[in-house]
Amino acid sequence: MIEIRVDENSCNGCGLCVKDCPMQVYELRDSVSVPVRAASCMGCLSCHEICPAQALEHRGVYPSRRHYIDIRVCEMLNRVI
Amino acid sequence: MTDGTIREMKDSFASTTVYRSEDVPLQCIPPPNELEDTLHGLMKLNGLIIRSLEEIAGRGANAVTYRAGRKYGHEVAKYFRKIEDVEEALKELSYILHGQYTIEIWKPADKDRYIIEENGSTFIYLVFHDCIVRQTLRRNGQPQGGPLCLTLFGYVVGAIEEITGKKAKLEIVHTGPNACLKKLILQ
Ligand code: SF4
Ligand code: SF4
Repeated sequence: MIEIRVDENSCNGCGLCVKDCPMQVYELRDSVSVPVRAASCMGCLSCHEICPAQALEHRGVYPSRRHYIDIRVCEMLNRVI
Repeated sequence: MTDGTIREMKDSFASTTVYRSEDVPLQCIPPPNELEDTLHGLMKLNGLIIRSLEEIAGRGANAVTYRAGRKYGHEVAKYFRKIEDVEEALKELSYILHGQYTIEIWKPADKDRYIIEENGSTFIYLVFHDCIVRQTLRRNGQPQGGPLCLTLFGYVVGAIEEITGKKAKLEIVHTGPNACLKKLILQ
């Protein structure tokens, strides 16, 4: 079961996630995105890519393989972050 | 080129490994983390082929890649048992493709059944999780949903047709960085 949280303080109400989600998971209420149909989320994470405020958090999404990312870059980032 | 350079080059390929003709490789050599360069090189190459094909053939590129994928799907699935039930066939296909592509039969929360009938058509939603096509496109910064996706498309359609003996069609509903949603339309 996927759980979605929207950081109300970060969300700027742009509505991009509402438009982009193919499953109509989000609705804008009082200029904040609300995940009203989280049970219909299939974990594509398009909304994460499109959200300019990085306000979204998904729990329980299957992480698909990302072998296209450089191991060395990841190691470097892990050292920095 | 100096002798030193040539010697250096030769030294880098020097090995004491003994190969016998009857040897069966029991492990993946070199270890997977050393495969990164090979894998990324392959991704680059595939991306370049697809980009050139698009430049040369325009919209016709989709037809070519779809046909190639479909033919391959038929060929591969020819050796698998025939199953009439589409859900079972998809399970079988997901087993065949495991490691390269992982597929989940999926339904939105408001639907009771996986086989959905809507506006006169019958379909099943498929979520593609792991996908080497998506990984290749993202490695190259190319958009999803183009000719390379259509190869996979054709492959799944071909395999399903071969396993079930029924005609099928696939439609991309949505592409994302972590998963893609497709509709398998049953005819
Ligand atoms: S992950 Fe995909 S399906 Fe889920 S809420 Fe985001 S856009 Fe919608
Ligand atoms: S895309 Fe991000 S900032 Fe925009 S409405 Fe959705 S959660 Fe808020």
